[in-house]
Amino acid sequence: MGLERRTDYFVGHFEAMASHCEVLIDTRDKNLAQEITHLAAAEVSRIEQKYSRYRDDNILHRINQGTAVQVDEETARLLNYAQQLYHLSEGKFDVTSGVLRRAWHFDGSDNIPSVARIDALLPLVGWEKIQRHHSQIQLTAGMEIDFGGIGKEYAADRAALAVSALIAGQSDAHARSTSALINLGGDLAVTGPRKNGNGWQVGVDSGAPVNSGAPINNSGAPLIPTQTADFSLKQGGVATSGDANRYLEKSGVRYGHVLDPRTGWPVKGAPAAVTVVAASCTDAGMLSTMALLHGPAAEDFLRKQEVPYWCQWHKDAMNRAATSD
Amino acid sequence: MQLKKKRQGPRNIRHQLAAATCGLLAGSSHASSLIASGDNWKIDSALLIYAEKDRVSLAEGVLSISKEIDDDEFINARIVTDVLTGSSPNGAVPSSTAQTFTNPSGNSTYTEAANSTPLNHTFKDLRNALNVEWDTPLSRSLRGTLGGNISREYDYLSTGISASLAQDINQRHTTLTVGLSVNKDTWDPVGGVPVGFAVMPTYPAKKALDGANADKTVKEILLGVTQIINRQTLMQINYSRGQGSGYLTDPYKILSVLENDGSGNLRSTNPYIYENRPDQRTYQSLYWKGVHQFPNENVLNLSYRYFWDDWGIQSHTVDLRYRFDFDGGHYLQPHLRYYQQGSADFYRQTLTDSEETTLSYASADYRLGEFVTQTIGLKYGFAFKNGAEINFRAEMITQKGKDRRADAVGLLQNQQLFPDNEAYLLQGGLSLDSDMLIKYIMRFFK
Repeated sequence: MGLERRTDYFVGHFEAMASHCEVLIDTRDKNLAQEITHLAAAEVSRIEQKYSRYRDDNILHRINQGTAVQVDEETARLLNYAQQLYHLSEGKFDVTSGVLRRAWHFDGSDNIPSVARIDALLPLVGWEKIQRHHSQIQLTAGMEIDFGGIGKEYAADRAALAVSALIAGQSDAHARSTSALINLGGDLAVTGPRKNGNGWQVGVDSGAPVNSGAPINNSGAPLIPTQTADFSLKQGGVATSGDANRYLEKSGVRYGHVLDPRTGWPVKGAPAAVTVVAASCTDAGMLSTMALLHGPAAEDFLRKQEVPYWCQWHKDAMNRAATSD
Repeated sequence: MQLKKKRQGPRNIRHQLAAATCGLLAGSSHASSLIASGDNWKIDSALLIYAEKDRVSLAEGVLSISKEIDDDEFINARIVTDVLTGSSPNGAVPSSTAQTFTNPSGNSTYTEAANSTPLNHTFKDLRNALNVEWDTPLSRSLRGTLGGNISREYDYLSTGISASLAQDINQRHTTLTVGLSVNKDTWDPVGGVPVGFAVMPTYPAKKALDGANADKTVKEILLGVTQIINRQTLMQINYSRGQGSGYLTDPYKILSVLENDGSGNLRSTNPYIYENRPDQRTYQSLYWKGVHQFPNENVLNLSYRYFWDDWGIQSHTVDLRYRFDFDGGHYLQPHLRYYQQGSADFYRQTLTDSEETTLSYASADYRLGEFVTQTIGLKYGFAFKNGAEINFRAEMITQKGKDRRADAVGLLQNQQLFPDNEAYLLQGGLSLDSDMLIKYIMRFFK
């Protein structure tokens, strides 16, 4: 963990969720900046430990053992949310689809799994197979829940909420107007506008937003999809889904890493990456993920949502999308 | 002709998504919401109206407050107040002429018209009850509860304590329960406790008394097994055995005494006597319950109870509830219940003059007779996004009794000794936690 002073704000750094994370804090008070960075790091780390699928000492591991598990309130809320997403996306977003990764390794090779292999995994996929009763959940043996598609965005929002509460509790009125931006490897959440009334300057570059020190126009972000943009983020969050480097390619066909849980196969013709600005980082993340799941119709979907977005297509994808179906 | 193709494009889900995310991120940070949830009281309240056709009406308010005082440790307090008005059968049979009875106080009389079931019209009562329970984990797989209750009516006081242990075994698929309870009740009837079989005197004469009040004690033990059959199905079997001792009689119930000649005429002098029941009663019951959740999330709840006691009563209860869950937090739950009871050995609708001296016990209380009760009802509930729930329930209850043929002699063959009864029940309920309540109240003052 580290802290750097910039012109009129501090940047705290920490590593979590396999990402470089930073907290931009609109203050000149080093102690407050330190405290906020610690709190954000602690909250992100708490969520990582609780819901990482790489650990065997957390609630997620217990759930994935297949026995009936009584879950705490936070986990229950995440499960409710997963269920709502499953219905909202008509089954396209499914936290049980992680088991498909046992067959799919998007390492740039031509190692496409067999149809039989996928068919054998499909019975283990499907939210509707989960049994829930009040705060109890039980999975069919072999099924797994993976909050990977929600976790980072959720952690960014939670950290922002925790920081907001800390700021709200400051005795000094000036300190209470402090704003912070949480950036978890490109997923952003802010607590509110800066002291000068402006937002934080955010740059979207090739689909991945980065904090940009460059002066920008504060009138708002362009709503038309472009490759790069700078804009000001006063509230809410930004998230990006997609990874152009994760794919398989065989016989001239490219298989992107976005899997349709209903078929077990990659969604055809999906954009390489989608960035969305929304009321929260979680909202932004879910909209960008669902856009990818819409394949070639990703931008139709995004336009319907009436949110600012940036869509990055593979060079050859537009042509393929035009001819598919 | 133009063919229109239904457009199946993407739809706007942003607002629904935002609402869902709001639920996910509800409250403030996790740390502060943890503190908040520990401070919250969960409040359940209900108002119930029960009305029997031409008989008793009851209005009841229930307030239940629960709080998690420590990790997995709860206290619950429940306050019930009900107001009972109307009239209840006094035990005497209808007659072809009007009948006059002395009120329990002994200070006045009431008259029942010819050919109608004699009802005690002075029925009016206010009951307040408080029940407190403490439920705590004793080890990883063992829970214990301790409870106390007190209930007060103007002529009846009931106090009790209870304790239970629940042990999870078999990887929490099975729970074994053992429970014990003791209740000590005191009757303080208007006009005192009548001597069993003593005649109901004609006003202004006073009835023979067995003291001003009388006690009874009920002890019960319950043994239960709850088994998770599979992810969708849960079953429970309970056996309970209880023993009542002391004054188990109803001090307000009487019997009609007939002439010995089989005419069905009331005997000419002192035709009504107070009932008398044994001072011991041992009862047992076996209860089975199954809960099944269907793939569409609808829930079936089916139970059966067999009850028997050494007074000769046997009863069967079948209860069926099926909950339909709809989108948006609505649910509907139809309810069917069937209750069939056989009569107590000493249940008599009438006595003859000579039987009065030969029998030790007799009661004409219809609740000890042979009858069938059927209930049909519907409950509607709605869960708000913030977790509060509101629900309404309506039920219709019909009771069909059976006349005891041996008692329906002579003129009484023209009377209905066990009239059918009908009742309606309406209930509205609201559940929320104190945090929400405070928010609602704050809104008024803003």
